[in-house]
Formats: sequence, structure tokens, C-alpha cells
Amino acid sequence: MNKTSSSKGMSGNARIDLFVSLLLIAAAIALPFMIDSRYVLGQIVLALFYATIASQWNLLFGFAGVFSLAQMAMFAFGGYATAMICFYFGWNVWAALLPGALSAVVFSLVVGLACLRLTGVYVALLTLAIAQTMYLLIVTDTECFIMVGSICRQFTGGAVGFARFGDLGTRALLKGQWLVGNYAIIATLFAVTMVVTYIIVKSPIGLAFRALKDNPGYAVARGVNQFQAQLLVFGISAFFTGLAGGFYAAHFQAIGPGILSMSQLMFIIAITVVGGVGTFWGPLVGTIVLVAADELMREAGEFRTLGLGLIIALSILLMPKGLVGRLGDLLSWLRHRNRAAASAITFQEKPATTGK
Amino acid sequence: MLDILTAILIAGLTTGALYALATVGLSLVWGSMGMLNMAHAAMLTLGGYSAFTLCTVLGLPVIVGFAGAILVGAVAGGLLYVLIVRNLLKTDKATFESNVMIATVGIGIALENAILLTYGGQPLKQPISATGSFILGPVSLPYQNMLIVLVVIALMAVIALLLGRTRMGRAIRATAQNREAAQLMGVAVNSVYFQVLVLSGAIAGICGVMVSSMTQLSPPLGNDPMLKAFIMCVVAGLGNLPGAVAAAFGLALLEAFVQYVAGARWGFPTLLFVVIAVLIWRPAGLFGRVQIRRM
Repeated sequence: MNKTSSSKGMSGNARIDLFVSLLLIAAAIALPFMIDSRYVLGQIVLALFYATIASQWNLLFGFAGVFSLAQMAMFAFGGYATAMICFYFGWNVWAALLPGALSAVVFSLVVGLACLRLTGVYVALLTLAIAQTMYLLIVTDTECFIMVGSICRQFTGGAVGFARFGDLGTRALLKGQWLVGNYAIIATLFAVTMVVTYIIVKSPIGLAFRALKDNPGYAVARGVNQFQAQLLVFGISAFFTGLAGGFYAAHFQAIGPGILSMSQLMFIIAITVVGGVGTFWGPLVGTIVLVAADELMREAGEFRTLGLGLIIALSILLMPKGLVGRLGDLLSWLRHRNRAAASAITFQEKPATTGK
Repeated sequence: MLDILTAILIAGLTTGALYALATVGLSLVWGSMGMLNMAHAAMLTLGGYSAFTLCTVLGLPVIVGFAGAILVGAVAGGLLYVLIVRNLLKTDKATFESNVMIATVGIGIALENAILLTYGGQPLKQPISATGSFILGPVSLPYQNMLIVLVVIALMAVIALLLGRTRMGRAIRATAQNREAAQLMGVAVNSVYFQVLVLSGAIAGICGVMVSSMTQLSPPLGNDPMLKAFIMCVVAGLGNLPGAVAAAFGLALLEAFVQYVAGARWGFPTLLFVVIAVLIWRPAGLFGRVQIRRM
């Protein structure tokens, strides 16, 4: 009885996931027809980037339990690699995206080799230090690498970063409607990322990731290779994050060290925490809520960061599983109450029948 | 040659003393409660700014400013326990480690931003500082650096006495060694946690004053020493106090040397490289014991 109901629950969850994704696809297609404002559409594209990165951080931390603080470093590495390939070799952006993402994977594997023998907090501290080092090295880079006209250009672009290395080609193709084209591209990127993440999470290797998170000792004893599995999830996460970084650079036609700043990383963490760590839809829900909150707080201007920090702290205090987790609690509570009500009815009926 | 060497030595020892202070505050909290306080940097900054408020804005004597920084730091630590940590401890044990980290990250950002909004972003001068230097033959020792090293040594002695000789220290050490056993022996673990956070907050307050007296007051003041303190904690093995102090001085000397030889921007990357090399060799840090956790 118990078994059948749980398996039923699983298929029910899959059905809910399918239903939600169909709804989302419909909404994503309808969106550009409903929104006229260029600003709003631009913010939605930015939100899609955040959602992509957050979903990958969630895969890493929420599902595999690797507390990495180098997520924005992977993103920046992918973006920088793409921009630099275009800038130095004159490649088309589309051709440079895959090499950019792959170089982010290589970077993540190097970082992973150095960090993933450690556990928990040690991983967090080392990855944070690595991300900060990357930021410092880029910002303080003043050595001339090549001269562009009379302007000195650093190898890493220095504090300014790179600009004007090409775009996604939507401007030439769609003229005034280029933003809609970019929106479609980034939405597709997000959708593909989510689908692959879903497949990974539901696959045997995804179960291994979860087992390592829930009880590392037991998982290792059952034959899961912790180091290999975590390196693998590190690489997968870095691939999509790096790819998103490349698209980010191409969409804004610029990339600078600003994306490596602490506040960007915090925003990603806040999204995942508010949405729900370790839940599949958490990052998307978190993105919608936080980007909306961010827009509202824009009115309050300077209190934005303060509010963001408090939101992170409060949501971890009040809802450790995030909004999606709370929603799940609510659903199970409702189901429980219905069942309790149903059983109460049968309980009431019984003595009545025996009484007759 | 000699003056270069002494300059490196003085710079290394001074920053080493500062890092040691920052590291001890972090390591104490980690060692006894398994909590990584990401808001420590903001507490450092808070200490520096409260000394500024008391001395420069209100015109009170330096010693009051110093005491005020300690007090504000301690109160901040206490509030952190009452508002955040106490509530997180009630929830699942397994997720406490990462939850408390995320929560303190949020608190840290909020606090840093609150300071930015109150005082503005422009750098301010820390009133608690000494000028001039002590000339000893060819060597000149700035009073400021001597002051910092002396304060840190005195503080280390106080902390060592507190942990080694008092009832409170014994309770803290017992909790650090084995929480359950300490609790069963009648140690009020929750009040130990409170004391530890207050103590680490007070240390952060002093550290903030010292760091800002070397440079200037600015809202992100605490971040740089904190990042390095993290690294030093990791090298020494989190929670190991004497090891943390040794690592702080060792790495600060190395940093000062590298900064002189290769330029300032290579100081931190070199540290990081050393740390990674150490961790590959000894995953629990130089002085850390390998812990075997029961399931």
C-alpha cells in the first residue's frame, strides 16, 4: 500500500513537472507579444541568465551538496573565454561559444582537482578565495598585451573588460526587433539547461549525487566514488554556467570584472535559497520573486543591497527549504487534512451503521 | 639590504598580527560550534566605525573609543546568536553548517551596506592611531606597527588565559572537543555558544580598530583581512587556535616577501597557491586532525 502510493506520488510529481514546463513554454512564447517595453524585456533576459546560473548552482549545492562559491567565476570564465576568442582571433561569436564553455569546464576541473578532495566549508572557502583571486588578477592587470590604435590593451581586459567583439547576429537579422531575437535565444538556452538538469537529476548519476549529499559515508560505502562524482557534477555545472557566460557576453556585447563581484554571487545564492535549495523549480521561482523584489526596491535605490542581505538571512531562518519547499509543505498539509477529514467521516459513519 | 629586510619583516609581522587576530575570532567560533561566520568581516568594520564615531564625532578620549569598539563588537556577536544562530540550531543538525553560512553571508552584506548608508563610501581616518617612529640605529620602527603587535600579543595572552584558566574557557574547550559529552556533563552548551560569539565579536571589534588604523576606514574594510583569515584558518586546520596564529604570521611574512619581490598583486595568489598545495598534501590542514565522523 505504502509502496504503490509512493510510486504514484513519483509519477504524479513527474506529471506536475511536465504540466509546469508546458505552461512555462506557453508563457515564454506569449511573453514578447505581451510586453512592449524594451526595458522590461531586457530585464527578463537578464533574469533568464540569473535563473540559468542559479539552476546550475542548485545542481551543484542543492543536489550534490558541493558548496562552491566559484559559480560566478565559472560564469565569468566562460564569458571571458568567449569574448577573448572573438577579440583576439576575430571568430564569430557563435563559433566561440562552445570553446568558451569548454574552457570553463577545464577551469572547473582544475579548481575541482584542487578543492574537491576536501569537504564542506573547506570547499566553500577555497572556491571563494579562487574567485576573489581571479577578480583581483583581472582588475590589477595593467601590463600592455597589444596596442589597439593608441590605446593599451591588457590581456585580460583589465578593469574595463572587453567590448565590441561581435554579437549574436540578431541586430543584422531582425533590425529593431533584435531584443526579441536575443530573448528567444536566451530562453532556449535556459530551457535546454533545465531539461538537461532534469535528466541528470533523475538519472542514476543524479541519484548518486543526492546520496553523496544526504549521507556521504553511506554512499561511499555503497560504491559511489565521491571524488569522481563530485568532479563530474562540477564539470557539468561549469559547462552550462560557462555557456551562459558566453551568451551573456554576446548579449551585452561586453564583459568586465564586475560580474565577479561578491554582490553578484550573493544574488545567485539568494535566488536559490529563496526559491528552495535542492528543489528543481526553486531557482526559477527564486529568480521571479527576487528580480521582482529587486525592481520594487529600485525605487528605494540605495537600500537594495541591505534588503537583499536581510532577505537571504530571513528566508533561511523562516523557510529553510525555500518557497518551493513551503509550497510542498502546504500541499502535503492540505492532502493530509483532506485525508484526515475523509477518515473522520468514515469514522463517524461506522458507529452510526453499527448503531443501526 | 638590511633596511629592505627589516621593512619586509616589520610589514610581515604587523599584518601577521592583524591576520592572527582575525583568524582567532573565526577559528574560535568554528572550533566550538562548527559555524563559519561569514559576517565576521562586517563585524570588523563595525568595530572600526564605532571607534570613529566615539572619538571623532563625539570627541571622547581614545580609550573610550577602544572600549566602545569592543563593546559594539560583543553586542553584535550576541545579537547574531540571539537572532540567527539560536533559531538555526533548532532546525536540522545536518543542514546547520551550510544554513548558518548562508544566513551570515546575508547578515554580513546587510551590515556592510548599513554602514555604507550611515557613513558614506568615502574613506575616513581612524582616530586611534600613533604617529612617528622609533629610531634604532639604521632601523626605524613606526610606533603604529609596534602598537599593533603589542596589542595583539596582549590580547592573545588574555584569550589564552580565558580559554585555559577560567571556568568559561573550560566549558568552551569541552564543547569544542565533544558537544554531546559536554552537554551530558552539565555544560550549558547554548550559553557557551552565546559566550563564544560575544567573545569573537569583541575580538573582531578590536581587530577592526587595528586594521583601520593601518589603512583607512571604509565599508569593505573587513573583507580583505577576512579572506586571508579564511585561508589561514584552512591552512592551520579550522578550529585550531595556536596553529591559526602560527599560520597567520608565517603566511603574512611570505605575503610581504612576495609583494616586495613580485609586486603587490601577486601576494594573494601566492598565498592561495601555497594553501592549495598544503591542502592536497594534508586535506585537514597543517595542524588539523583528520576527523572520522560516525554516521
